Parts: sequence; C-alpha cells; structure tokens
Amino acid sequence: MAELVLPYSRRCNYFFLYDGSKVRGESDQTREGICYFYPEETPLDRQELLCGQLAGAGRCVSELSSSPVRILNLHRNRFAIRMEDDLLWALGCSVEVPTVSVCELLDQLINLFCFYNGSVRHSYQLNSQETLASRWAQYLSHLQSGSSELQHIFSCLTTIDSTNVDPLLLLKAALILQACQRCPLVLAGCIIFRGRVVSTQMSPQLTMKLMVHESGTYTKPQRPNGQSSSFGSAVSSTAVFLTPSELQYLQSTPVDKDFSSHSTPHKNTPLKKTRLSRTLSDTPSSTESEPSDPGSSQSPQKLLSPHLSESSVYSSDPSQSTPNPPPPQPPEPPLSNGKHSSVEESLEESYYHSFHSNGEGGSQIDNGGDSSAFGENSHLNGGGVDGACGEEFNFRVAEESHDNKVSEEVSGRGCGRVQGHEVERPDPPRSDAFEHPGESPLIPMTLYLHRVKGLVLALLVEPHFLSDKASMEEVYHSSLASLNGLEAHLRSVSPGVPGAPGPYIFAHFDCIQSTLTSNLSGRPGGAPERPFVRATSLLHSHFCNTETLQEAIIRSAGAAVYGTRSVAQETYFQQHGGLLRNSGIPNHQDSAFSLPGKARHRLLKHGVNLL
Amino acid sequence: MKCLLISSQSAEVLFHWTDPEFYQNVQAQYVSSQEDGHGLPAFEDSISTLFAPIIISCITMVDRLGDSYTSFTTENNHIYVLHQFDECLYIAVNGDGEEGEGDLRRKIYVMKKMIEVMFGMVTLSSNLLKRELRPQDTEQRARLWEHLQSLLETYSHLRENDQSFLVEAVERLIHPTLCEQCIEFLERRLVQQLNSSVERAGEEVLHAFILVHTKLLAFYSSRNASTLSTSDLLALIIMSQNMYPSNTDQDDPNPEDIESTSGSGPESFYTPEPSPTDMDSRSSDMPVRESTPLFEFVDPDVQMAEDSLHTLEVPPPDPSTPRRVFLEVSLKDGLFPMMPHSMYCLPLWPGITLVLLTKIPTSAVAMSVYTFLEAFAKLEKRLNEGQEGPAATRGQPTIHDIRSKLDKFIKALGASEIQSAQLQNVWTDFKNRIGRGGPGFNRELIHSCKNMKTQLCGVYRQCFLIESGTADSPRRLSPGLQERAQTMVQDKLMDWKDFLLVKSKRNITMVSYLEDFPGLIHFICVDRSTGQMIAPSLNITERNVSELGKGPLAQFIKSKVWSLVSTTRRYLQKGYSTVTLRDGDFYFCYFLWFENETGYKLEAGDIPVLPDDSAPIGMLAWDYYRKLLRYYSKNHQGEVVKCYELLTVHLGVIPTEVILQHCRQLASKLWEPSRNPLL
Repeated sequence: MAELVLPYSRRCNYFFLYDGSKVRGESDQTREGICYFYPEETPLDRQELLCGQLAGAGRCVSELSSSPVRILNLHRNRFAIRMEDDLLWALGCSVEVPTVSVCELLDQLINLFCFYNGSVRHSYQLNSQETLASRWAQYLSHLQSGSSELQHIFSCLTTIDSTNVDPLLLLKAALILQACQRCPLVLAGCIIFRGRVVSTQMSPQLTMKLMVHESGTYTKPQRPNGQSSSFGSAVSSTAVFLTPSELQYLQSTPVDKDFSSHSTPHKNTPLKKTRLSRTLSDTPSSTESEPSDPGSSQSPQKLLSPHLSESSVYSSDPSQSTPNPPPPQPPEPPLSNGKHSSVEESLEESYYHSFHSNGEGGSQIDNGGDSSAFGENSHLNGGGVDGACGEEFNFRVAEESHDNKVSEEVSGRGCGRVQGHEVERPDPPRSDAFEHPGESPLIPMTLYLHRVKGLVLALLVEPHFLSDKASMEEVYHSSLASLNGLEAHLRSVSPGVPGAPGPYIFAHFDCIQSTLTSNLSGRPGGAPERPFVRATSLLHSHFCNTETLQEAIIRSAGAAVYGTRSVAQETYFQQHGGLLRNSGIPNHQDSAFSLPGKARHRLLKHGVNLL
Repeated sequence: MKCLLISSQSAEVLFHWTDPEFYQNVQAQYVSSQEDGHGLPAFEDSISTLFAPIIISCITMVDRLGDSYTSFTTENNHIYVLHQFDECLYIAVNGDGEEGEGDLRRKIYVMKKMIEVMFGMVTLSSNLLKRELRPQDTEQRARLWEHLQSLLETYSHLRENDQSFLVEAVERLIHPTLCEQCIEFLERRLVQQLNSSVERAGEEVLHAFILVHTKLLAFYSSRNASTLSTSDLLALIIMSQNMYPSNTDQDDPNPEDIESTSGSGPESFYTPEPSPTDMDSRSSDMPVRESTPLFEFVDPDVQMAEDSLHTLEVPPPDPSTPRRVFLEVSLKDGLFPMMPHSMYCLPLWPGITLVLLTKIPTSAVAMSVYTFLEAFAKLEKRLNEGQEGPAATRGQPTIHDIRSKLDKFIKALGASEIQSAQLQNVWTDFKNRIGRGGPGFNRELIHSCKNMKTQLCGVYRQCFLIESGTADSPRRLSPGLQERAQTMVQDKLMDWKDFLLVKSKRNITMVSYLEDFPGLIHFICVDRSTGQMIAPSLNITERNVSELGKGPLAQFIKSKVWSLVSTTRRYLQKGYSTVTLRDGDFYFCYFLWFENETGYKLEAGDIPVLPDDSAPIGMLAWDYYRKLLRYYSKNHQGEVVKCYELLTVHLGVIPTEVILQHCRQLASKLWEPSRNPLL
C-alpha cells in the first residue's frame, strides 16, 4: 500500500504549524515557533523564512482588517491560512488548485488532528513534537492519497462502487450498524471495506475522519494511540474528540433512545412503507442466518477480560485521561428486557420512517442504507440545511461574544457543501478551550474498531463503553457473524470492469453524501481528461461562490463542458469528438449547446437524474 | 473601506488614496494604540507604519524566495492585492465587498497607466519616478497626490457606472449623419485652421475629438498622425472627465456620488482635524520625516542636477495651459511608447468637451531617448542572461550603431538649455568601460547600463516634464487660438447641444430591440479590433429611468451585468471563449470570436491560459485584446483579423435555442449599421 503513503502527485507543497507565542522576544529564533513543517526535508532556513514572513505579513493584515487572514496568494503558491490566537496553520498548494479546495483541505487537516488528538495547544503540551509531527504527516499523506484529481476537487468520500455491488449487501451493512446502535453507548458507526465506505451513519465529514484511522491501520498495524482490547487483534479502540455540534448531530439521529420513544409522528407511518421495511428487515435475517453460527461460536474465548481492558484504557495511556477526564457520565442502568424491547420497537419504527422520508427515485435504492440515515438526520435537525445553518449561526454568535473570530466568510462561501461543511466550522481546535469555560470544548469519545480482514466496523461509542463488559460483548457478538458474512460477500465481488470509456466523460458529485461518481479512469495525469478536470475545477469554484448559478456551459478550443447543480448535487459532462470546426460565434446548431440534453439522456443509465 | 497605496521598497509612501472609512479605520488603530495623549501622527506616517511589515516582507520574499505575495483575503472578506512594478509596490485594499480581487488588480494597473500617461518615460527609472511621485515640497506633493487621487476616484466612478469603462472600450454616439458632419467639420475647418495658424507655437494638432460625457461624438486624426490606441483614448477620457465631470448624476439623491466625481469633495476627510497637539506632533515629526528619505536612495552615480529637481511646476490653474500627456505612437519604423503630447481640453457646454491633442516641436528628442533607452535595456538584459560582454555588445542593435548617434545627441543637447553634463560623464564612463573587459566586466557594465538609462530618463524629464517654455514664449496654442477653436465648435453644435446631452444618456435603448428579441434584457457588443462598444443605456438615476425602470430591479440587473463581465473575464483568462450561464431567473451568454475583414468567421483557436495574478483583461491598462489578436494572427498571416465579443442577458424562461438565435442575429447585425434599421 505504498501508494497510499507516497501519493503519485503531491497535492500540497507546504504545510506548517507555527506557534507565535514562542517567538516573542527579540532574541527568540523563528525556528522555536515551528511546530511542524512539511515537507520535512525543507532546509531549516527556508522553513524559518516561510514561517516568519507569512506569519508576520499575515498578522499585519489581520490587524489592519481586525480579522484573521484566510487566503494568502503568492505568484507560485496558494496558501490557506488558519489563525487562532498565536497559532498559525498554513497549507500551500499550487496556484492551479482552486481556493475553495485549498481552504477545505486545510480545514480537513486541522479537524482530523483535533479529532484524534483533541485541542492542538493541549496536545502539544502533552506530547512531544516528534510524536505529533508523525501524526500531522500521517494525516497529510492520508488527505493527499485520494486516487484522482477529481476527488481532490470535491474532497469527497471514497465509497465502494455501488453499481457493482448487490444492493442487498449495502442494506445488510446498514442493518449491522443499526443493530450495533441498540446498545445505548454506541452513537453511530460506519463500515469500511478496503479503504472504501460501504455504509455510514455519520456525516460525510465525520466519516472521512474515521477513514484516516482506518487507512492508517490498513497500512501499518501499529496505531499511535489505539489500544488492543481483550477481543484480540480484531478489535481495537482509540480515543477521539468530537465537536459539540458533531455530537449534537449524532445524538439527534432517529436512533436516539430518548427521542425516539417520545416521537409520535412515526406511528402514522402509512402501510406502504411498512411493506418496504418488512422486506428490508426480512432479507438480511435470511442471508445472515447461515454465517452467523461460526461467528458466535468463536466468541466466548475472546470475551475473557473486559475488565482488564477497562483498566488498560486508563492505565496504558494516562495522558489521555488524567489531565482531561471525560465528563462524568450518569451511571446508566443495565438494559432490562422490557426496556430493551421497547427500544427495539421504536428503533424499527424509526427505520421505516427514515426510508419513508427519504423516498427517492429507484436509482437511489442501492444507496438506501446511507441515504436513509442522512435523510433522517437532516430532517430531525430541524428542516435540513436551513435548520442546521441556523443552529450554527446561534452557536457562532455565542462564540463571538468571547472573541471576535467570526467565520461568517467561510460559511457564506461553503454554500455548495450544504451543511456538512457548516457543521464542522465551530469545532475549531480552540487552544484555550479548556481555559475558557464559556467556550465549547471538544468532547472525548471512543472509536471502536472491529476488523474482519479487509472489512472494518468503526463505531463511535461513549468512553465508558470499553469498561462496560456487557455492552461490548453484545455489540461484538451481534455484529461478528454478519461482518464475516459481509466480508465474504464483498470479497467475492469482482473488482468491476471500469466500463467502456464511452464517447463522453462525466462527474457527478453528491453534496449531501459527499460522494463522487465518474467514468474517468482515475489515473492522474491522463492527457485527454485534462481539459475536463480543469473545467470541472473552475466550474466547481464558480458554483461554490455563486449561490444562484444553476448551470453553465464553457468552451475552450479543446473542450466544451456542461455543469449543472442543485442543492444536493453537481454534475459535469463532456462529450468527446463532437467538436467540429466552429468559429465561436453564437450558433444554435453548435454541438456545445446540445450538451445539457445529451447529459440528461446519457447519465440516466449511471443513475444520475438531471430532469 | 478602500485604499490604494504606492510604496517604495523601503516602505516610503509614494502615493496613497483612501476612502473615508479606511481613513477612519487607520486613525482608529492609532487612537487605540496611542492613548497617552500624544495625538495622532500625520496620516501618511500612520499608513506607512501600518503597511510597513507587509511591504518589507514582500521585498524579503522576492529577494530570498523569488516569489512574492499577490493577494490576501481575510475571514471578513477584506481583500489586499499587491503588485510590484520595478521598485514600486502597489497595494490595493477593499473591505466593503464592492470590489473583487480582479477589480483591485485592475485598479492598480489603471493607476500605473495614469502615472505613465502623466510622467512618460520617467517611469522607466524607479529612482526618478520615486522623486517625481513624492516631491520634496509638501505643498507640491499634496497637490500632486490630490490630482492623482481625484483621477483614481473618477476612474472608479466610471468603472462602476459607465458600461464603456466596464468593458474598457469606447462608446460612440449612434447618429451617423451628425457624426459624419462633425468629423468633416473637425477635418476641414477646425484642424486645418489651427494647424495653419501662426499662434500654434510650433505645435501641430494631431487628433481632435468631441466627447459628450464619456461618449465619442466625432474623432478626427490628421493624416500624418498615428492611430491613437484605445488604451490612451480611454485614459484621456478619464482625464477630461476628471477636469470637467459629467453631471449625469446630479439628479441622484445621493450627494456623495457628485462629490466623488468632482474629486474634490471628500478632501476634508484626508486631513486630520487640526488640534494643538496635532500641530505639535507635526512640527516635530516633519523635519525628521522629510530629511531621511530624500538622500537615502540617491545612488552617487545617479545624482541629477539637483536644481532641476526643484523646478517642477505644478500646472497652474490657468485653463489655457495644456496637460502634458505621454501617448503611444506607432510609426513605420516602430512603436514608440510614451511620446509627449499636449492635451487641450476645451469645455463647450457642461457635459460636452472638445479635446485637442498636439505634437510638440521637440518630440523628436523623445524618440531618440527611447531608442537609446531600448538599446541599453536590451544590452542589460543580454548581460544579465550571462552573455559575455563583448558578445553582448554586438547584439542588435550594436553599441557601435548607437555610439555615433548618442555622441551627436549629447552634442546637440549641449547646445540647448538642457543640462546634460551628467549624461556626458556617464556616457564617457560607459565608453571607457566597454573597451576594457576583464573580470567583473559584466557586472560593471550592467551598472553602467543602469546609469545610462537613469541619465537618459533624466534628460527626458527635463525636456518634457518641466515646463521649459519661459514666460515670454510659452509653448502652446495661444489662448486666443484655443478660444477660437472652442467658439467654432460651439457654433457648429449649438442646435444639437440638448439633443446630444439626451442622446448620450439614451444612446441606444432596449425598446428598439424588444420586438425582434423578446426576452432579451440587455446586451453588450464589443469590437476589440477598434476598441468600440455598443450597449443599450443602463442609467440608474432618479430622473433618467431606462426601460428597466428604476429602483432595486434596475440596480439588480445592473449588478448582474457587472458581475457577468467579471465572470466571463475569468473564464477568458483560463482559455474559455464561450460561456453560457443559467443564474437565478436569467440566462447569460458570452461569445468571443474572430472574423477576417470580409466578415468571414474564422475558426476558434486556442486562447492562452493565464495565471490568476496576470494583468487584468481589458484595454485600458493593459491591452489584452491586442496581444490576443497578435497571438491569433500568427496562424492567419496576411489576413486582417478582427475580434468581437457579445454578452447577452435573457430571461431564464426563454428556450435556449431562441436565446442562441437572438445572439446570432445580434452578432451579425450590430456591426452593420447601414443595414441595421435598429440603430
């Protein structure tokens, strides 16, 4: 898996974290403030030059405008900047990379770091610079490892090719996750197969964060801060940190026990939906029954010592727990049978409801597992996009009163990304999060990973899940058999012929799920695809910056590309060969203007509905 | 929140312009930091201190990394655009969302263009330009900056309100008969009479044109004149608008607009409130500030005749004194940029102006200076590229070609009142050096080249920037002659005056197109080979209502048109010559195409892909289209290639096929006025 670590083409030229508080006096050297610099082999004086100059000029501009610098362009490099107190992050890409993408990449990187390490200032107090440097490097290489430039443009989630997989398998994956959620300590989960998402219950942004850990473990078995549990090497866990909004988002899912038992609207689910849900719930049980036996028979040996694992959680890595103890959790009573069943009942109802509420065209059914979760989430969040944004806004106002760092600009810009981007914004790794009680700190959680060969079940669980023997056993056993079965099926799926190139190229980006469908070969640097990728990148930026723009056709001498977007998706289409001699003068018979029609027609068979 | 700053590499302010908000913002930063009651420092000092870290960092980055900042964006959407021309760093700032990065870059380039038009080849020597932009005498400096500030404000106002400055092409008044009559009048009567008068003091009228507001009624160039480039013409229109601002907005209830066009209104914002403490700080600050920068950068070899530095005269208020402008001249033996001309701007009535451009008798000197400058610049370039000295001097044009010419030139100068002793010395030094060779030869020779260039620019400056004509024989068309010209044209246009003023506001109107093009809301058509444009008027003032009505809707459509232009420029910059956009309830189209002289549509070719920070696409500050035409013509040798652009705004409900048919009809009809009943 070397190509995961050493990407074919470097997406980012520079990345550094600079701590201005260490360089205050006249005698302080710039190098003392450099927490991390990429590429690491850069000569120190050059590192100092870049850090010192960018930080200095950035601060000057920030003071003039009383607002932190967000983007800094040089002739040859484009830097996304994040400034918080004395910390400054800068990520430099080639100027060809659109501004939106650079900013997104930096946000992703910082958020990743905070997800696994907590607040930046804090983790630098706890860990050596070398340790954290290796983590920055890991996250950077993960983010740069996407297979194609198109994926970089959209910063999308890598999913398994759903057109190539039996939809029932996807349903099964979704059901495994839902089954895990019966344990009240499990917040949400996702299933990943060979570095690709099979099913997830989380926002794309959160899922992406899990992916880095997954791909990290995929490449090297030793995890920096994970612990092997009593279940053997198959199960591991690691501490992670959620932002309050992420947590809120997860807790507002239909599976939430507190809410679902009270929610009445589900009761009125029409009959038709019940039928649908019945077929869904029936199918997996039949496919599941066979492989589940060997799994459950294996398990007792592995169940020996949940208590040991509990102690190991707190003793082996005191740094995580002592200075930053998890908030006291109210002791939850063990599940009584009666309660359990009621929970189950409401659970199932909410599933039906989720499918119902997400009643999309037939083309979407193969993604049913995923989309149901998302559809329902946004629904409960209070009217989808608007609701989420509204919440964020209030949130931010509250922050604003503490310091003046407003991130309105970003939220205005991120229009294309719907709420996913928004949800992440307020999390910033506020270095002073722990000092200022008014600010919302990151909330420690645990990431539970269960690996079955190439398949990984990743669950976000309450920290004390690991000490709750019963819950762990329950989750482990309820999922093991199904995971084995799913793995076997997925493994047997042929990699899928990339499909004849066809007389056209398209890319379809689902903004809600953050997934990309394309018939591009995916190999970087393919000459014939260059014009398409370039146009797509330009149009994507334009869509992001202009809320009202719905569709566009742009033509250069080499290619005519059609782009269209709605709230939920962006689609780009180019027809090969159709470019006969043209003069560029307006002409309604010009082939470029027939692109919208062709796109509608051609893309139907790819499950893309532009009508 | 707008600002434009020109700074030297040592953070010395060479020019600044700020709007009231930015001014207050800067002052506020000082109020907060200076609570000990020492009063505020002079604004120029404040702004210099605030920007100094950026400026110095910029220079450091260039020196050590070979790369430098082009722009900053903050989270509250303040944009800073930086561009360095030689040793002058331009910084443009916007903090109110009214201008994008492209607009700011354009502003910087336009500022540079205006400075070139005003100072000519002096701009080629950073040392001289720095002193020119920052005269030692504070009063003189204030006057110069005020003038530049008001030019900048006039430009900004035009760019925001005038479609011809939006697309950077000249708009003609569409009235073929009257135009023809006027041109004939200018040719047969006016220019002929002026050029045969003895009162013209050696000057020769080359171009004469009549402007109605910003629109061109008639333009005449004498036979031996080269064509006036669109870039220069647009710059001249800005200057004449600055001198005699149009009162198109007088009906506007917002008085600020009028102030900003007149350029003198907001001046009160630029001077801090006088207060006792303020005066104190000034008197203590000033001498220090004045004494340091002046001699700091004076290379001993570059010392000019010091007395000449003090003699620069700011044009006195006498209206008959022409403006010295430096314009491009293309002759058979080549292109000569920044050749001195005199510009006479004669107001006929408010809003209608006659502009005369004359060639001055000594303009041959400018050509010689330019030839020499070019030769030394080329030599310097070859030396910098590492060519050995002797080989480098043999490149085209050889130094030996220059040698005799320059000797003669210096001799001739010696006979005039121009101080050329320094030039003589440096030239002698250069000649000695070039014969020597040996180690360090290249480096020394490069230094010598630089000196020669500076000295040549210095001579040029003496010849054309300082009003050398003494009081007894001012070199200009006599006031009486100017007055006669004015009266002649006034008589000619007397009956048309009111018509013209109205016509200029409703040159062509959408009404005439509605029937043939249902659903069409607006269009702009530009002929880039001639630099002319046609567009229905879009006046949005209280009294002058266009078909779009007034108020928010008209304002909305105007803002859509403006943003469409900047969007299509961005695509053009990246090589896309056709763009259609469905945006809200509108459908926008943009086409760029080439034709040959007979109207035959040429095949669309590759359009160069430019970096984000390249010069702005347009014709005013940097003629993108001229370069594009040259690039395209490479594959069309022997053919005259023309370049056209069409932008349309349609209602989104109109079917695309119909929209495209409209575009096609517009494209084919618009430039054939004789066959087009609509015009």
